[in-house]
Amino acid sequence: MVTPFAVVVVLLALALAGWALVFAVRDRAVVLRQLWGAGVVEAAILVQVVVALVLVAGGAVVTEPVTFWGYLVVSLAVLPLAAVWALAERTRWSSVVLVVAAVTVAVLQWRLLEIWGTA
Amino acid sequence: MRDRGDGVSAARPAPVRPTARSTASGPGRVLVAVYGVFAISASARAGVQLARDWHEAPLAYGLSAFAAVVYVVATVALARGSRRLAGAAVAVELVGVLVVGTWSLVDPGAFPQATVWSGFGRGYGYVPLVLPVLGLAWLWRTRRAAPSADASAHATP
Repeated sequence: MVTPFAVVVVLLALALAGWALVFAVRDRAVVLRQLWGAGVVEAAILVQVVVALVLVAGGAVVTEPVTFWGYLVVSLAVLPLAAVWALAERTRWSSVVLVVAAVTVAVLQWRLLEIWGTA
Repeated sequence: MRDRGDGVSAARPAPVRPTARSTASGPGRVLVAVYGVFAISASARAGVQLARDWHEAPLAYGLSAFAAVVYVVATVALARGSRRLAGAAVAVELVGVLVVGTWSLVDPGAFPQATVWSGFGRGYGYVPLVLPVLGLAWLWRTRRAAPSADASAHATP
């Protein structure tokens, strides 16, 4: 895993969380632009998956492969699920759901980096 | 919060709420989201542990699997508004985190590997300890009529 890029993914996810948090504090629901933002984070995670696949194919060893791929798959699923769940609610709570999802993605990515680092 | 309008509610007629509020809307949506995250991550983790190193720490890993099941049940029950089931799952969770949390501190040797509930959920930012309390508070707050009466009498679409 390329460390700088993983850090970028973490920062993107945290930025999305911060954006949604501002909306939650201002009592506003999630807007379409935030979903585009979530799409950007999602695309970055996808790149991460491809990078990891290429590195492993190239001979890199992951000490805990099941956990590693599990985290990757879960981190891919979190934002789409949260977006669907949030959109049914047109109140500030949809923004809070997005905060939770984005922070979860950031934590998962950070954990991925740690697992990769011990390889 | 603001939809309750505690301070100004006297000015306008209070809405008639014959049935209990949904457990999955408003703040409940966030609760379900957090429960969902825990359900997925706990299940995935327990699955890996049971499949690979069950023999290393049967007690800890068995408890992890149990906790995962409880989180899944709580998530589904809260999302679907099955109050009784949700209440039971959340209560089991609270007892679990308190018992296992205390046990893991008194006798660390019993838990060579951490579970979600070890040290009162320390490894997860104490969220496992806070979550069931919030869950029970939320179930309490959204209930209107007697739990048994509202569930059977009014099936809100």
